[in-house]
Amino acid sequence: MNQVLNLPLIRLLVIKDWQLFQKQLAAYVLAGIVALALLGLARPWAFYLGSLLLIIVLVAGSCFSISNSLLVERKEQTLAFVMSLPLSPLDFTLAKLAGNLLTFGVPFGLLLLGTLVVVLTTPLPDGLVVYSLLIYGHILLAYSVSLMVAMQVESEGWNTFAMIASNLLVNPLIMLLGQIDAISIPARADAIVWSLPAVLILSAQVLLSLAALGFTAWWHGRKPAFY
Amino acid sequence: MYQQIIDQITTRVMAGDWLPGQALPSIRELAASSGVSVITVKRAYEDLERAGLIATRHGKGSVVAERLDQARGLFEDALTRSLVDAIAHATRLGLDRGQLHQRLDVELDAAESTPTPTQGNLP
Amino acid sequence: MTAAFAVSGLCKRYPHFALQDVSLTLAEGEVMGLVGVNGAGKTTLLRLLTGLAAPDAGSIDVLGHRLPQAQVAAKRGIGFASEDMRLYRSQSLDWHIALVRQIYPEWDDNYAASLMRRFDLRAQQPIGGYSHGQRVKALLLLCLARRPRLLLLDEPTTGLDPVARAEVLEALADVLRDERRSVLFSSHNTHDVEQLADHIAFLHGGRLLAHRDKESFLDDWRRVLCLGSLPPTLANWPEVAQVRSAGSQIEVKLRAWRDDLPERLAAQGLTVQRVDPMALEDIFVTAVRAGGAA
Repeated sequence: MNQVLNLPLIRLLVIKDWQLFQKQLAAYVLAGIVALALLGLARPWAFYLGSLLLIIVLVAGSCFSISNSLLVERKEQTLAFVMSLPLSPLDFTLAKLAGNLLTFGVPFGLLLLGTLVVVLTTPLPDGLVVYSLLIYGHILLAYSVSLMVAMQVESEGWNTFAMIASNLLVNPLIMLLGQIDAISIPARADAIVWSLPAVLILSAQVLLSLAALGFTAWWHGRKPAFY
Repeated sequence: MYQQIIDQITTRVMAGDWLPGQALPSIRELAASSGVSVITVKRAYEDLERAGLIATRHGKGSVVAERLDQARGLFEDALTRSLVDAIAHATRLGLDRGQLHQRLDVELDAAESTPTPTQGNLP
Repeated sequence: MTAAFAVSGLCKRYPHFALQDVSLTLAEGEVMGLVGVNGAGKTTLLRLLTGLAAPDAGSIDVLGHRLPQAQVAAKRGIGFASEDMRLYRSQSLDWHIALVRQIYPEWDDNYAASLMRRFDLRAQQPIGGYSHGQRVKALLLLCLARRPRLLLLDEPTTGLDPVARAEVLEALADVLRDERRSVLFSSHNTHDVEQLADHIAFLHGGRLLAHRDKESFLDDWRRVLCLGSLPPTLANWPEVAQVRSAGSQIEVKLRAWRDDLPERLAAQGLTVQRVDPMALEDIFVTAVRAGGAA
């Protein structure tokens, strides 16, 4: 398809998504800051509670962003309104992807940054930087897969399944990271060590995320019409 | 809808709202203001023109006809239709000629005692 | 003159429904009423005309643009509102206006303000607090105030109270003033169609049963009341859509009226009592029940 992207409209729709959810997103960031404060206390109970709360906030935030911009839009039939605007299926997909990446990405980025700051500036071992990045990497991957499913499948059941299953897999990941000495031992030390397994896992997470998003854009972009 | 437009225009012409030679609203204007489709108004104009009530000047829209005598035919037709209907109903009721005449007189008396908003006099 | 839209040989199959071989043209400046029962294919046809769906066969040109390929260009000139379209509940009408007016340069603030007054809508209130009628009117305002060349409206008056319905019809009638603007609206309220449409397109079971200018369509149909005994072959006449008898009274609904029909009925030994034109509602129900061509 040799069509020109309707960039001004894509930009408007991304801003629209942002305006629709900004209040809720601020609440997520706020809850995340509370979690980070707990982490920063560097006590075992606070660390446990803080990391649990942080993962909850990250997972909830990513599910919220997907379900509001895609599932709710479908269910509340505002989708028909958006599709009636002068845009192609590719414009629409890109606007949705960009809007989603923004509503997910901003809180995600802020919390990621906050985590790094907390780890590096408090008595917590600096080696946790690698460990945290791997957890964030998983959240990103789970989000990308859920987003791909949400844009592909209309069924609410499958979407809920995709979101819960992909995010719950963070549990086995944590277990796995505990088993890999090259990752778990430096995490308790005060130096940042990038071992081969850590680099491999993080690269896989990032590449798979990009692949899922790229596939979604390609798949929808080649459709001539919405239905 | 069609009949409404016909009635509306004939009433206003006969009442003198619209004088002979005066321009009528354009078809689209009348359609929009009375909420009736363009094609219906167009057809009403054509039929009124045939009946001699209005005249259409090419490219200039329609005006009320200068002489309205032809329009009489329109009302003659309407009267004939009502009378035919009345006869059909009378037959069903088993009324004879005299009884029907009598009923007509009763209605005429009633109409005279309660002045109706008349629609002006025919020429 | 380019047509507002022209579709030809249109087919679209869904698992439980198929739109079959629809060919239809709407000339610029005209209003077409799309009539049909629920499930007749009205929504499918409108989706195809907005480029939202791609046809399995046939061609669609809207405002001179081939769909669905050129849907972006076509949609700039289309104002589409459908029954299953909703606005964002958490946001106000003003917010929606701010969004839409950035997209369409033709947006007319004065017209929007006058529609806002006519429809009696509160601009600041979140749409979630609107009644059904207010939501429909808000959606129409967003469509009308940009003065699109082609309005495609799916059931614009369904579920409205009489006052809201009158307001909507008046706003639609305003569009008639501009001879470059065209309207296609679907409705199962045949009264609205009879009032506003220049053309009638009659869909049933995914097929186009009839598409004609309204006046000649209505002219074709008559309800004839006769007295006598029912001739057994009467129901088979091609002109006859429906025959009903009660005692010696026979009601015949004719789909192809001709002036010689009273004589032919008389020749069958019937006394024709009266001949009446039919309302679109009556024609619609008769044609659907007769199942055949209207």
